[in-house]
Amino acid sequence: MISKIVKSGLTRRTFLKSTAVTALSAGLPGASRAAGSTIRIGFLAPLTGAVAAWGKPGLDGCQIWAERVNAAGGIKLGDGSHEIEFVSYDNEYDPAKARTGATKLIREDGVSFIMMLGGDTWPGVQPVADKTGMLFSTLLPSDLSPDTSTLIAPAEVHPIYNVTGVEWLAENKPELKTAVMCAQDDALGLPSVATYLAAFEAAGIEMLDAPLLFDPATTDFAPVVTRLISKDPDIVCLDTCYSDYVHPIAEQLFQQGFKGQIISCTADFYDQMIAKTSEEFMEGFVFQFPDFDDPALNGSNINFTDPNGFYAEYNRRHPGQWGAVSWEYASIMDLWKAAAEKAGSASPDAVAAAMKDGKGKHAFGDADWWGTELFGIDNALVGDWPVVAIEQGKARIKDFRSIPDWYAKHGDLLVKHMQAYDQMWDQRS
Amino acid sequence: MLDLLAQTGLNAVYAASYISLVAVGLVLIFGVMGVINFAHGELFMAGAYAVVALYADLNVPFFAAVAIGLLFVGCLGLLMEKALFRPLKTNPLGGLVASIGFLMILQALAVMGFGVRMEHIPPVTQEVIAFTDKVRLPVARLYVIVAAVVLLSALWYFLKRTRFGWALRASAQDPEAAALQGISIVQTAKIAMFIGAGLAGIAGALTAPLVSVNPHMGHSVIVTAFIVIIVGGVGSLEGAIVASIAYALVHTFVTTFYDGVLADIVGLSLMLVVLIVKPTGLFGSADRA
Repeated sequence: MISKIVKSGLTRRTFLKSTAVTALSAGLPGASRAAGSTIRIGFLAPLTGAVAAWGKPGLDGCQIWAERVNAAGGIKLGDGSHEIEFVSYDNEYDPAKARTGATKLIREDGVSFIMMLGGDTWPGVQPVADKTGMLFSTLLPSDLSPDTSTLIAPAEVHPIYNVTGVEWLAENKPELKTAVMCAQDDALGLPSVATYLAAFEAAGIEMLDAPLLFDPATTDFAPVVTRLISKDPDIVCLDTCYSDYVHPIAEQLFQQGFKGQIISCTADFYDQMIAKTSEEFMEGFVFQFPDFDDPALNGSNINFTDPNGFYAEYNRRHPGQWGAVSWEYASIMDLWKAAAEKAGSASPDAVAAAMKDGKGKHAFGDADWWGTELFGIDNALVGDWPVVAIEQGKARIKDFRSIPDWYAKHGDLLVKHMQAYDQMWDQRS
Repeated sequence: MLDLLAQTGLNAVYAASYISLVAVGLVLIFGVMGVINFAHGELFMAGAYAVVALYADLNVPFFAAVAIGLLFVGCLGLLMEKALFRPLKTNPLGGLVASIGFLMILQALAVMGFGVRMEHIPPVTQEVIAFTDKVRLPVARLYVIVAAVVLLSALWYFLKRTRFGWALRASAQDPEAAALQGISIVQTAKIAMFIGAGLAGIAGALTAPLVSVNPHMGHSVIVTAFIVIIVGGVGSLEGAIVASIAYALVHTFVTTFYDGVLADIVGLSLMLVVLIVKPTGLFGSADRA
């Protein structure tokens, strides 16, 4: 193979030259950039396959973010202004492909920062992060451990923020006394089960049954729902079910005559759920992810640039596609940009240091780098999180609640339930 | 408790209905063609996407969309017979490998045509037959149950009481002897593929408004179908129906009274027990039917 390449015109001199350049770019990502040159950001997430819904909309949001930043003059570093360009790699939610993608993004594309969905793909990438020192972000703080010093979770602290919805429900609907829960039996479902159990216990809401776990391959949710509502609960909790599950479960709850409260981590494409059930049935459905046309996002506490305009532009380009990740990767970029400008450099270590220097400008307000007890490292940005409810067919923020405040009061419950489900960082393999 | 048992029973009847439609199609193809069609789950998916395209996107009436879906997937079956299985008839593993390739092509086409996300299908009807407050059968589920009873009864009549059906069964039992009797093996293969694929297609089309339609939806369906046909006896249509009912009952009741993960384990254990006690399955024989 090598002889073929050499015969085709690759000389020893060009080979050594290109190898040296590659080694340099791998060792010093972003450091040798000329003034005015474009800064590249890696987007390493599932763009196809079953998990693409938590990757592709994020890239779409990042493209809008980049256009807005570039139109405003780009990012201002010590050596002048630079435009931002996203380089994407579809990891198909496969660890091996994620490792290949990380290597390519660093060595060939010279990116300065890599955003990931995380989860199953992070273990594939971690050796590359360790070797190169590249700064990575994840949407899933369960990837964090003391061994992941270059990994940050600056957008969402799934599933810890779910406590805010239960806390709000207990305060605003005290007549709700009992609950049941279901979840898919996987890395997203189980820590969320532990979190909701802690939140319900803290709120004094009785669980009528152990959480009902189902196989992620489940397609018919009628038996799951029959079991859930058989004990007449006040609340049915859908945990962190994927939207492919939330929709049919909600539809089954409607068809099997449930009339109580529903709480869920997400309600992506809730308009479709309303179409399949009714506006009345979905009234008061509590979840954790707002639409960005929400008036509550125009407050001074919000650190996301022009959320209403971003939402309008996103829906113009991708009608009906808005979901939780549409804004999350873009909000990470807001943090990254602020840190890079503060550091005057796009190099990973400088940005990481600037980012973790003091409070962080989280999308929903100033927040602290936090997590040692749960993740073994303070690399998750934690502060307030919104509680959202559907009112007359539209998602509306009902309140912002503090995750650290809840944890200060009830952290022992969370640790207890996390341990029971083997979800603490030192229990995860 | 009675309400819970009754509701679980209704859930099981629905599950048995769509599983048996898929499994019987798979058995028919295996019986006549001697091919394990790994793309059968994707034929189910193709039926569902036919409803997405026609009913959800183009506002074609639901039952017309289902009928067109059945014909479309049946024609996909004919295409598979001609392009994949017939040329590879003499290669024992060829058909199986080709069907895996076709599975990937169908998935890729679904992604290219509709994207990777779950498709939204407006409800066909929100009517529910309420036996009591807690025992309710959505009419959309009743459609699947009725379709399974009618179509499988029609298939039984076709196979047992018509000349084409006899020819099909003769081809399945002994292709060479059937050919010597003047039965066209190619024709019977085409009929088997059209019916087998069509049954998967109509199951997908009818259940499309009830499940999450996405390019990977065929996977869990084919796994269930394989369990069912192994339990029933590979090649036995009666076995596939009986095993569908047994599997649906066990899986639904275990899910309701214990949990879904345990239900999967019990379903697989059922298959293992049958294989140990009767390796040919409940209705199977050493030779394929």
